[in-house]
Amino acid sequence: MKIAEFKIARYKNIVLPLGGLIFLTFLASKSCKIDFSDFGEGIANGTFFITRMFPPDWAAFPDMLQPTFDTILLALLGTFFGTILSLLIAFFAAANLSNPWVRNITRSLISIERSIPELFILLILITAFGLGAVPAIIAIALGCVGMLGKLLADTIEDIPSTLMDSVASIGANKIQIIAFAVMPEIIPNLISYALFRFEVNIRLSVLLGAIGAGGIGYELENSFSLLEYHRAFSALIIVLVLVFSIERLSSFFRNKLKTAIVLK
Amino acid sequence: MSDFKIDLPSAKFKQKATLTSLVILLVALLCSYIKFNPLVIFTEFHFLQDFFVEMFPPNYALFYENEGVGQSILQTLSMAFLGTIFGGSIGFILSFFAANNIFQLPFLRNFSKSFLAMIRVIPSLVVILIFVIAVGPGSFAGVLTLIITTTGVFGKLFTEVLENAEEALSESIYCVGASHLQVIRYSIIPQVLPAFISNLLYVFDLNMRAAIGLGIFGGGGIGYKLYMAMRVLHYQDATALITMIVLMLLIVENTSNFLRGKLLGEKL
Repeated sequence: MKIAEFKIARYKNIVLPLGGLIFLTFLASKSCKIDFSDFGEGIANGTFFITRMFPPDWAAFPDMLQPTFDTILLALLGTFFGTILSLLIAFFAAANLSNPWVRNITRSLISIERSIPELFILLILITAFGLGAVPAIIAIALGCVGMLGKLLADTIEDIPSTLMDSVASIGANKIQIIAFAVMPEIIPNLISYALFRFEVNIRLSVLLGAIGAGGIGYELENSFSLLEYHRAFSALIIVLVLVFSIERLSSFFRNKLKTAIVLK
Repeated sequence: MSDFKIDLPSAKFKQKATLTSLVILLVALLCSYIKFNPLVIFTEFHFLQDFFVEMFPPNYALFYENEGVGQSILQTLSMAFLGTIFGGSIGFILSFFAANNIFQLPFLRNFSKSFLAMIRVIPSLVVILIFVIAVGPGSFAGVLTLIITTTGVFGKLFTEVLENAEEALSESIYCVGASHLQVIRYSIIPQVLPAFISNLLYVFDLNMRAAIGLGIFGGGGIGYKLYMAMRVLHYQDATALITMIVLMLLIVENTSNFLRGKLLGEKL
């Protein structure tokens, strides 16, 4: 009996995709002008730079409390208005609340919104409204629509139709159906999605800060470009602590919510 | 019957009303603190309107007059691709050490778990600022940033996939005398390969967006072109670039959804 003859055909499924990937990687590196000989020098530069950042500028921490608070506030307000906006849009994007035409158009608008990076919404709004908190909050709120709108619309579509029919059968109109059949069903999901989005928005508001929304992101970018690396390091520490603690908090509350739903 | 009293409004309604008004009050306070008036969208709408008038019609001539644009689109695509491939591979390897059902080495596991968690927390803004200083602005810095962030995201996603892999399959292979590596090769990897590919496609989708955003901070590609167009007030060029970006992202999203559906349908 022959044992496991070596055959090219057996490896066809692995070799072809792998070869294709290597070829694509090669082309991509060519178009990015990646030169790995720069890499060694880059590592040397990078480590030198990181050692220059130590120690953090402890005196800068009190100055940074205010920008940190601003960043949190931007994310908070953006999430709040964004959730309300996405909820309103989700009613139009759910098959069991609106007619098919409206639903499909709203859904494709949502998916177009999802593919516009928030940074560019902010750039457009900054040209219109000037620098500051206003364009940042609007940009964050609009950025929520792509994700929350779709998730909420899907949640609404999952509501059992018997529930909505029973409310409709005793003479409720559209708004009453939404108030008494839809809202109680989706509120736990709504809160959990909003918390998750808040996590995303904290990172986003740091990023948006760097291109003109103010807050800790601006501090970070500014101290990098002014070559005040110690100050930048303190801002970096604050950003890391902020992102990490918000992530923990949000996942803690979401777990709480999940167990509350299961118990109910 | 006569002492039966209907409380209107009911206690539940009162509770809800108090909660709602408290939330509204809090939001109003915060808004006034940060000087944000939601009605500004309506009162100052003419600014936005003027701006949109300036943005139209989009200057599509840009695409054939300026060959740098096509190149920058390719650059963004390659950035996302390279970031996904390398970051995905590193995350793939690390997640094997981080999953608690594969290697029983607590030291290594804790190390890779905390390493992945640490990477995930660092915002890409910080990473790109550091890499721009280290290797100079350009798509190389962008690729390195994407590799770092992808490692974090992918490692986290994939560790969960590995930890959910079927135990019984590995045990049965182990029972017939397979070594530890053989268990991984013949039980774990076939189980998680579809999830690996679908996660990879998902991460590629994320990286496309990130690659465009990174352009602003010195990552090169089409994001940089767009930022420059906005900076020098060539709004019609900017509109053309934005439509291009949206089109590109939609194509990538739909292709990756299609491929994912196809792969999962075949493999499962």
